[in-house]
Amino acid sequence: MSDPTAATSTPVAPAGPRPKYKRKLSNYLLDKKLQLRYVLVVTILSGIIAGALGYMIYDQRHQSTASIESDLQRLVGADAKDVESITGDYQSQDRILVYKMVAAGIGLVVILSLYLVIMTHKVAGPLFKTSIYFERMAEGKLGAVTPLRQGDMLQEFYANFKEMHDAVRARAVADAAAMHAALQALRDSRNHGDYRGETHSKLTEELDLLEEHLVQRKQQLA
Amino acid sequence: MTKPGDRAYKRSWKNLLINKRYQLRFTLFMVGIAGLLMAGLGIWIKIVADETTKVSKTSKRGEPCPKIPVIEAPYEELPPPTMKLPDAPPPIDAGSAAADARTGDRPRRPKIDVTLDAMELPKPILIVPPIPVTFKGDVVDHWTCELLNAAAIERLDAGHLRIMLVLVGSMLLLTVGLAVFGIKMTHKVAGPLFKVQLYLAKMKEGRLDKVYNLRKGDQLVEFYDHFKHAHAGIVALEKSDIDRLKAVIAAAEAAGAGEHASIAELRAMLARKEKSVE
Repeated sequence: MSDPTAATSTPVAPAGPRPKYKRKLSNYLLDKKLQLRYVLVVTILSGIIAGALGYMIYDQRHQSTASIESDLQRLVGADAKDVESITGDYQSQDRILVYKMVAAGIGLVVILSLYLVIMTHKVAGPLFKTSIYFERMAEGKLGAVTPLRQGDMLQEFYANFKEMHDAVRARAVADAAAMHAALQALRDSRNHGDYRGETHSKLTEELDLLEEHLVQRKQQLA
Repeated sequence: MTKPGDRAYKRSWKNLLINKRYQLRFTLFMVGIAGLLMAGLGIWIKIVADETTKVSKTSKRGEPCPKIPVIEAPYEELPPPTMKLPDAPPPIDAGSAAADARTGDRPRRPKIDVTLDAMELPKPILIVPPIPVTFKGDVVDHWTCELLNAAAIERLDAGHLRIMLVLVGSMLLLTVGLAVFGIKMTHKVAGPLFKVQLYLAKMKEGRLDKVYNLRKGDQLVEFYDHFKHAHAGIVALEKSDIDRLKAVIAAAEAAGAGEHASIAELRAMLARKEKSVE
């Protein structure tokens, strides 16, 4: 995630390509609730499908083994040792099948979870970045907005946000400039003696307050 | 009871796909993964089911049934030929024998006449071999066993078909179910984003309307709270401008500078800002 605080120190987007931000493993779970919910749903669903179909495979295989066992029993008759020696192999194959299926299931769940965390991160990342800008806007700070990383999702949403942010900022800059111009004009008028009586000091006071307000606004827009 | 800021929005299935790109991407991914998984395991199940059915059918075919005892066919047999002998000659009386002795003649033997023409050939007799007492039961046992085996083989085939149908049916059901579930799930994320986008468009045009709450069940509640804070921050900026402008305009008017061109500009700005936060 690029650092939005950088926006405050650089009012204008720096020229040239932005340094590539390196994704950190620890930052992959930005919105745990959203990401883990999706990961859990897909993983549990896959686990249920794999489990049910795996059980069907095992059941079929076990039936086949039982059938062979009973045939052998009939052929060999009372010589149980021969039957055991042959059917023992089949049973161990059944067990190996179960181990293979369990290993495949665990592998699938791990790979799916990792892949989903990465995929959901591409949604949670832009949301996280936008949230930081929202909090800055809440404080009245309207610094420059940097673009998303390549590969992030919600590009369209972020573009809309950026357009809004830029429009609000442009309007605020224009308003500040207009107020500053009005302030200067009113001060000039006062110097030329356009103002009279007790209200003179009151207007001066208000104009000073307006100037302070504009200084503060300029800081917010930086 | 509706809280202030709540507005009753009714979900409509027509609006489920708000953000097609995001929603379809996630849903297709989920459906694709499940489809691949089901197809792979389904093929595995088919192979094992084919093998099991084959083994079981072979086993059933190999099961011996009690045999029907063999009975010989009826046959004909000729009885031994019978010869018809003429009636026995009359016994020689004592007087004639004594006369023969006196004459020196040999005693007379009884004369037997055999007439072959008169032999009668016997007719063949049909001999039916005896049927064992258990024959009926053996036949019933044999055919019962054969029919049971045939039924068992049919059952195995039917079971195999059932497994395949269940497999295909569950795959279709899961695919459709997952697609619907995926779209509904992503809609709960796409919905708030869509709503925020509407407000962003208004804010871009300088309209800072009241922000309403999300619907029940929507995701991204925290994200929406951040947006509401941002909206409130911009409203606060505008209100602070409004307060300052009002104060300056009032002071200027009091000082007799109400007709100043700059004050007229500030009034226009004030009107615009007041309208934006209405």
